[in-house]
Amino acid sequence: MVLKERPSSLKQISRSRTVRRLFGLVWNYRWGCLLLLAMQMALLGLNLFGVAMLGVGIDELRHAVDPAAPEPRWPMGWTPMGIALPMHRIAVISLALLAVALLRLWLGYASGVWFGQLLQGRLVVDLRDRCYDKLQRLNFRFFDSNTSSSLINRIGGDIQAVRLFVDGVLFQVVILVVSVGLFLAYMLSVHVGLTLACLSTMPLVWAVSALFSKAVKPAYKESSELYDSLVERLAESIRGMHVIKAFAREAAEFHRFQHANQRLRDAQNSIFAKLSGFVPLIVLLSQANVVVLLLYGGTLAMRGEIGIGTGLVGFASILGQFSGQISGVGNIANSMQQCLRSAERVFEILDEPVQIHSPDHPRAFGRLGGEVRFEKVSFSYGAERVLEEVDFEVKKGECVVITGPTGSGKSTLLSLIPRFYDPGAGRVLVDGMDIQTLDLAALRRSVGCVFQESFLFSTSVAANIAFGHPEASDAQVEKAARLASAHAFIQQLPEGYRTVLGEAGVGLSGGQKQRLSIARALLLEPAILLLDDPTASLDAETEELIVDALRGAMRERTTFIVSQRPSLLRLATQILVLDRGRLVQRGTHRELAGREGYYRNLVEVQEGGVWDGEERPDEGGLR
Amino acid sequence: MSRRSEPLTQAWVDGDAYRYRPQGGVFPLMRRVFSYARPHRRILFWLISHVVLRAILLPLGAWSMGAVVNGPIASGDSVGMVWATAGFTLLIVFTNWMFRYRYRLALGLGEAVIHDLRSEVFRHILSMPMSYFTRSKVGAILGRVTSDIDSVRTGVQDVVFVSAVQLGQMLVAGALMLYHDWVLFVVVLGIAPGIWLLNRIFTVRIAEAQRRATESFSRISATLSESVSGVRVTQGFVREELNALQFRELVSDQARYNLVSARTSAVFLPLLEFKTHVFTALLLAVGGWQVLRTGGGTALGDVVQFAFLATLFFEPVRNVGTQYAAALSAMVGAERVFRLLDTVPEWRDPPEAVDLPREEAGIRVEFKNVWFAYEVGNPVLRGVSFSASPGMMIALVGHTGSGKTSITNLISKFYLASSGGVLLDGREVRELRSDSLRRQMGVVHQQSFLFEGSVLENIRFGRPEASDVEVEQVVERLGFRDLVESLPEGFQTLVGESGARLSSGERQLVNFARALLVRPRLLILDEATSAVDSRTEMRIQSALRKLLRDRTSFVVAHRLSTIRNADLILVLHEGEIVERGTHETLMSLGGRYAALHRKFTRC
Repeated sequence: MVLKERPSSLKQISRSRTVRRLFGLVWNYRWGCLLLLAMQMALLGLNLFGVAMLGVGIDELRHAVDPAAPEPRWPMGWTPMGIALPMHRIAVISLALLAVALLRLWLGYASGVWFGQLLQGRLVVDLRDRCYDKLQRLNFRFFDSNTSSSLINRIGGDIQAVRLFVDGVLFQVVILVVSVGLFLAYMLSVHVGLTLACLSTMPLVWAVSALFSKAVKPAYKESSELYDSLVERLAESIRGMHVIKAFAREAAEFHRFQHANQRLRDAQNSIFAKLSGFVPLIVLLSQANVVVLLLYGGTLAMRGEIGIGTGLVGFASILGQFSGQISGVGNIANSMQQCLRSAERVFEILDEPVQIHSPDHPRAFGRLGGEVRFEKVSFSYGAERVLEEVDFEVKKGECVVITGPTGSGKSTLLSLIPRFYDPGAGRVLVDGMDIQTLDLAALRRSVGCVFQESFLFSTSVAANIAFGHPEASDAQVEKAARLASAHAFIQQLPEGYRTVLGEAGVGLSGGQKQRLSIARALLLEPAILLLDDPTASLDAETEELIVDALRGAMRERTTFIVSQRPSLLRLATQILVLDRGRLVQRGTHRELAGREGYYRNLVEVQEGGVWDGEERPDEGGLR
Repeated sequence: MSRRSEPLTQAWVDGDAYRYRPQGGVFPLMRRVFSYARPHRRILFWLISHVVLRAILLPLGAWSMGAVVNGPIASGDSVGMVWATAGFTLLIVFTNWMFRYRYRLALGLGEAVIHDLRSEVFRHILSMPMSYFTRSKVGAILGRVTSDIDSVRTGVQDVVFVSAVQLGQMLVAGALMLYHDWVLFVVVLGIAPGIWLLNRIFTVRIAEAQRRATESFSRISATLSESVSGVRVTQGFVREELNALQFRELVSDQARYNLVSARTSAVFLPLLEFKTHVFTALLLAVGGWQVLRTGGGTALGDVVQFAFLATLFFEPVRNVGTQYAAALSAMVGAERVFRLLDTVPEWRDPPEAVDLPREEAGIRVEFKNVWFAYEVGNPVLRGVSFSASPGMMIALVGHTGSGKTSITNLISKFYLASSGGVLLDGREVRELRSDSLRRQMGVVHQQSFLFEGSVLENIRFGRPEASDVEVEQVVERLGFRDLVESLPEGFQTLVGESGARLSSGERQLVNFARALLVRPRLLILDEATSAVDSRTEMRIQSALRKLLRDRTSFVVAHRLSTIRNADLILVLHEGEIVERGTHETLMSLGGRYAALHRKFTRC
């Protein structure tokens, strides 16, 4: 699907809808998420407690050494009054710190495990299942307009990025808000003036950061576009290498690549120039509050208004964490961007309507006879008319060959019979029943399909033949293979019917693959057999083998074949000629060959030397 | 800078990275990576100086903060405090000012290195013979230039210099702590190996778990890819439910591995934090004990100093894990890239190769007892001999795998014969420069590749300097000017990725024009019209008759009608020429050709 750049206001609306849907998604896991959040917050609180206790400890020590130093202030006004000896007090603090550490250890573990279970174990799995299930049910048009790698990425990477909405956005925001609140509360409880003074540099850090991200954004965009185009060019060069070599264009290609490479490097360097200007500045600004702390806090400490431990050391540690949290805002924004883009792609699959449904109350039927009738069937892809008022009738057991120029609608006509698409107008009837009133799965099981590219799965030969009926017995598989003239070559394979095909396994020739896919269709013992240009990429001799296979396969069923090949045309009891979606000629070979038109031209080209265009075939003729 | 969106758990990070040990050792590999920095050695020199400087400045900043607190503030010296703070301020300003250069230099160096690497890789790819491309997958080659080189960049930009800074900072911070209080420093030292050990154990475990997750994810990807490509079959055979069930198993399997990985991280990360907290508790207990025993303010100051400095000491130990992982994936990337660069082409043009002289007439082609095999022990051509005088049209006939295309591949020197002689204009191809002979040939395949761009650019591909008039003439002579002009924007129409926006007939016309524009002395048409509908085919054939007149041509075709007028028909069977002659002689011979012809035309 080519996504055009939409106007920004529309984009805003769709963005906010995506966010709402993401919240809806998370709502399904709300209790788990709440538990996870609670654990995270407890961790934060314990962290703050640890910082406070170290400060108290230092102040206790100071007070013990120098009684003039201010009385240490324990958090929440609690003081171990009963313990007089300073060493004991220190021991209590140390033990408290250890206890906190242990608690954090346990909580950290529990929340980590829970996190994995909730997000990886449930959310991601559920989403993947839903997407995969949906994908399998969408009509072919969807697959024509989406590349397979983009679909794979959606179920792989994009779903992980949707998960990022939970742990990278939602949680981070809550944690940010809560931790900033907690830190503030602690600091304010120590000294209000110092807190405000120390935080006064924050807006400046914010402002510079905002300026920074604005300044580098276009540069990043430019560089990633340059990078993408470099990769695209490279991919194209590799795929078209035979052309480059055939025309001896290596040097020119290298030059072009070098140029793109240099431009990318320049773009990167201009980003680096900005980065190295801004980043140290932001670091410096975020350290400026330490200077304020030393000056103002130092004065306060000298006056005895705050302790060195709880005040200076504690503040220094918290300010460090504070600026860490603030700089995390940028990451959250990035995650959000990334997650929204991915979520849109994932939702696109989930929202894609399944257009072909089984009727709610399907008409019951036993075994189909195989009589097929098209009644004024029209079909269009969007605005493009593919079939117009196609009308014909086929009796049980006939063999129909559909022919015509490329793009005339032959394959579409075939795909209406198993309801891969539904016609825009008109009806398709089998045995006098409108196919839209029949159970979809049952209908498809009665129709055997052999596609143009014989797609086989990387499993064993037997599993491929039994694809539509996995419980089929070995005898059934072998019977289908024999009917399709595949038995002989299968037995020659290293492990016969158990030979594994595909990338990791054995490669088959085009003719062998095609015969396997015919066997796969025959295993279902279909009443109707559809073959979409089954010999398109085969040579004459292999074609002959397929034709032989078909002779056996066609017995006792209605067969539709799309083809231009004379050897297949020979099989026909009825020939349909399509041109631009219209049925222009219909009849037997004898009838059509006698008439002026596409069919006669076709036969002449196939048969005779039209090499020079003007000459009439001298001997080919029509016999 | 990461360009790919990486999920938090890094489940898709190359899991192999962690079990990996480079062949020939880490150091030779690193030396080789840094040999690419040699042209930029001025940058490298300054970078190293800045690394050293920064390793000193960072601990110095933390220390001086402690010094301000312990010194003037603790003793109540206001004026001293102001001066000391001013000094501290200067120090951090200076530190960050210097950071600018450290940062900029490292980024620039990394980019320079990978820029050079990319160019070298692409140049190397271009020099590989065709057999390399039929063997390798596009994705694998692309991966070298994208993700692998990117991880080398991260290695150069971050890992090496950040690690160096961290190591230095650790040493300096350690020295400062030792200087203040050796007892406390012993406590610190006692904890460090624990952290290091934890790191070692857990990075390996996490890596193992992630590797499993990655493997199981690649199973998911493979299944998905098959499901998407085979969706027509799935729907046609009503297999949706069963497939969904199998997919669910795979996904749950992957989730299990992800969970193991999450669980291991859930132990590891909190354990690291636990160490820090234990340190704080110990610092307080041991330091407190010292303070109270001696009753001294110096000891108290040391506790404060340690609270500041210890962070700088522990930070690098903690980061070792991440740096280690990044370093490993950089090394894996580097090794893969180098392996590609070290792949020696099976053959190259010898340095003494000469150009094929350009003449007016077509190329004379001779095969003398040529044997050829794509794989050893499986010859596809067995002793093929023939000769084609300039201007002849040779047709190659035979079933799939009989060796037709191999003959054309040997003529255009995409492959070299295993034995025997392939002669062009009487010269052995091995002694000719590949580009000089290919420039005099035009090739049209069944589905020839078009590059993204306009129709005009594609026609000009082999000879970009050709004028518009020349391009128009070629199209005119092919008799397809009306067709090109009826395209939405005529010659300027964009063809889309791989020419997808054109119909197969239109694509093929562009291919013919592209091949003819280079004024080839020899034309190879390999199933050039089999993907074209009959109407277009007829037009192409009548145009070709004129266009082939002064050139030698080799035509491979299934449709025998295309080759009836050939001067010589070679009928191939299992790599041997079994019949040769014109259409008439072969028909009267009544052999293989005649049988094929009969089968094809009988209706």
